[in-house]
Amino acid sequence: MEFLQQYGFLIATMLQQGLLGLSLYAPLMAGQLSLASPGFYALGGYIAAIMLTNPAFASWRDTLGYGIYPLTWLLAALACALLGVIVGVPALRLRGIYLALATIAFVEILRVLSLNLSITGGATGIFGIPQSFGFVDRWQYLWLFLPLLVVTLIFFRQLSKSRTGRAFRAIREDELAAGAMGVSPTRYKVLAFVIGAVLAGIVGSMSAPFLNVWNAKQGTFDASIAYLAYVLIGGSRSMWGPLVGGALLSALPEVLRGLADWRLVINGLVLVVVSLYLPQGIVGSLSPKPRPPTRPTPPPLSEGPSGPPYTSETT
Amino acid sequence: MSDSAPPKNAAQDAPVLLDAQHLTRRFGGLVAVGDVSFQVRRGEIFGLIGPNGAGKTTLFNLMTGLTPPSSGSLRFGDQTMTGLAPHQIAESGISRTFQNIRLFGPLSALENVKIAQHARTRAGLWAGVFGRDRAEERRVNLRAWELLDLVGLSDRAGEQAANFSYGDQRRLEIARALATQPRALLLDEPAAGMNTAEKSALTSFIREVRDRFDLTVMVIEHHVPLVMNLCDRVAVLNFGELIAVGDPASVQRDPKVIEAYLGS
Repeated sequence: MEFLQQYGFLIATMLQQGLLGLSLYAPLMAGQLSLASPGFYALGGYIAAIMLTNPAFASWRDTLGYGIYPLTWLLAALACALLGVIVGVPALRLRGIYLALATIAFVEILRVLSLNLSITGGATGIFGIPQSFGFVDRWQYLWLFLPLLVVTLIFFRQLSKSRTGRAFRAIREDELAAGAMGVSPTRYKVLAFVIGAVLAGIVGSMSAPFLNVWNAKQGTFDASIAYLAYVLIGGSRSMWGPLVGGALLSALPEVLRGLADWRLVINGLVLVVVSLYLPQGIVGSLSPKPRPPTRPTPPPLSEGPSGPPYTSETT
Repeated sequence: MSDSAPPKNAAQDAPVLLDAQHLTRRFGGLVAVGDVSFQVRRGEIFGLIGPNGAGKTTLFNLMTGLTPPSSGSLRFGDQTMTGLAPHQIAESGISRTFQNIRLFGPLSALENVKIAQHARTRAGLWAGVFGRDRAEERRVNLRAWELLDLVGLSDRAGEQAANFSYGDQRRLEIARALATQPRALLLDEPAAGMNTAEKSALTSFIREVRDRFDLTVMVIEHHVPLVMNLCDRVAVLNFGELIAVGDPASVQRDPKVIEAYLGS
């Protein structure tokens, strides 16, 4: 218990940042470098903060009780999915660094909006956000972030094995060839972008009570760069990369607190050293070679190796 | 070379499958493909030859939607292909290989062939995440192995496509193109980088594949003996214009073709 009292907040933060790293991983599965995550994270957080504090929702809170918290996650996910489609369709016509720049612009637009709208509390933001499910200690947010992380990892693992995952990889390796082989690049790029947006939004909606305060500082250009660093450090080819990168980089300043200002120098050094010596990222360098695929036993319908490949196909 | 080849004019009376009308593509002031019209009958092996820069690959790009035509149209069976996106054309049943091999290099040979079955499978995001796609995945996997067998690469199924030799990569591209279950297969210089033995094996292989999958084949090829031996008919492009169409022997004698290749 004492351990959790002392380090629970840090561990929860590490998971939270790892999740945000994973929200960048989703579009990267389809080869798209999007830095829009802070925007969706901020949006998700504002949705939760408004629903939990705004008098307009007082009757909802009274009727739903603790049920209001899952509802904030759901609405944040839906809003981010919708906004993800609206932003993704035009933005994903851009490639590479131009897409990254467009998504940074998106984050800035949301930031300036939130600074100027009254519903988001302007420059001061929204504070006094009640703790989820009446949590009394910050480490209890592990009960939210840990299950979300597990679900997210299972989701990505299943996804990467599936037809959708293959379509993502095809686009990542060669968008033009993917199109020529029957994969719709636009459709799958938008899907990958929306998956990242929804994840960032849900994390945001859980983080608003976690941080107690929500303001325009949550979704900034700095955050975009921080999440990008998670992916660079951890590696972008496996889902473990952004997770490890996010957890590590968010822990580093705390672990090195004793070094005072030098910790930022060390933080920078880690970034430089990893990108110089581990260009695949930490996880990318540790990953074992994939096992060779095993041949399936042919079903009775097939005529064996030299038989016509399509005779077994009925649908 | 193969003796078991069917008579060369077997497709003479077959219905037209590919009907290109006045296909034109301009890049600025350059006419890469100018007013090209031709018809390919079902089951034919149709050669496309011409000097470097004649517009052969551009013509393939127009036919597969990678480059939109400036004008003209392409009909495929009773559908119009012009204006469709590449993935829609692939779904309609036109598949291709690339002159400058475009495999998914870091992915395994098996994965390359699995990806190309995309348009013939249905599993969506949630079916995949919740494992409701098992039956379909089994079929995809099985067919991928069978196609690798067909091109003789199944013992290297797990290797990265980029590590394959030039000839093997071209074969893998054919397997990948076949995985889309095409009715028309466009091969862009399939013999480039192959040695003489591989080239002659390729001739019978293309015929075999045509027969087995009931395909119509278009081939861009520079190697003249291969074209003469393989193709039922040949079209010749020069500076983006179609200067001759006919059976290989008569095209070879055509004075305009000789001039295009040797200069006047």
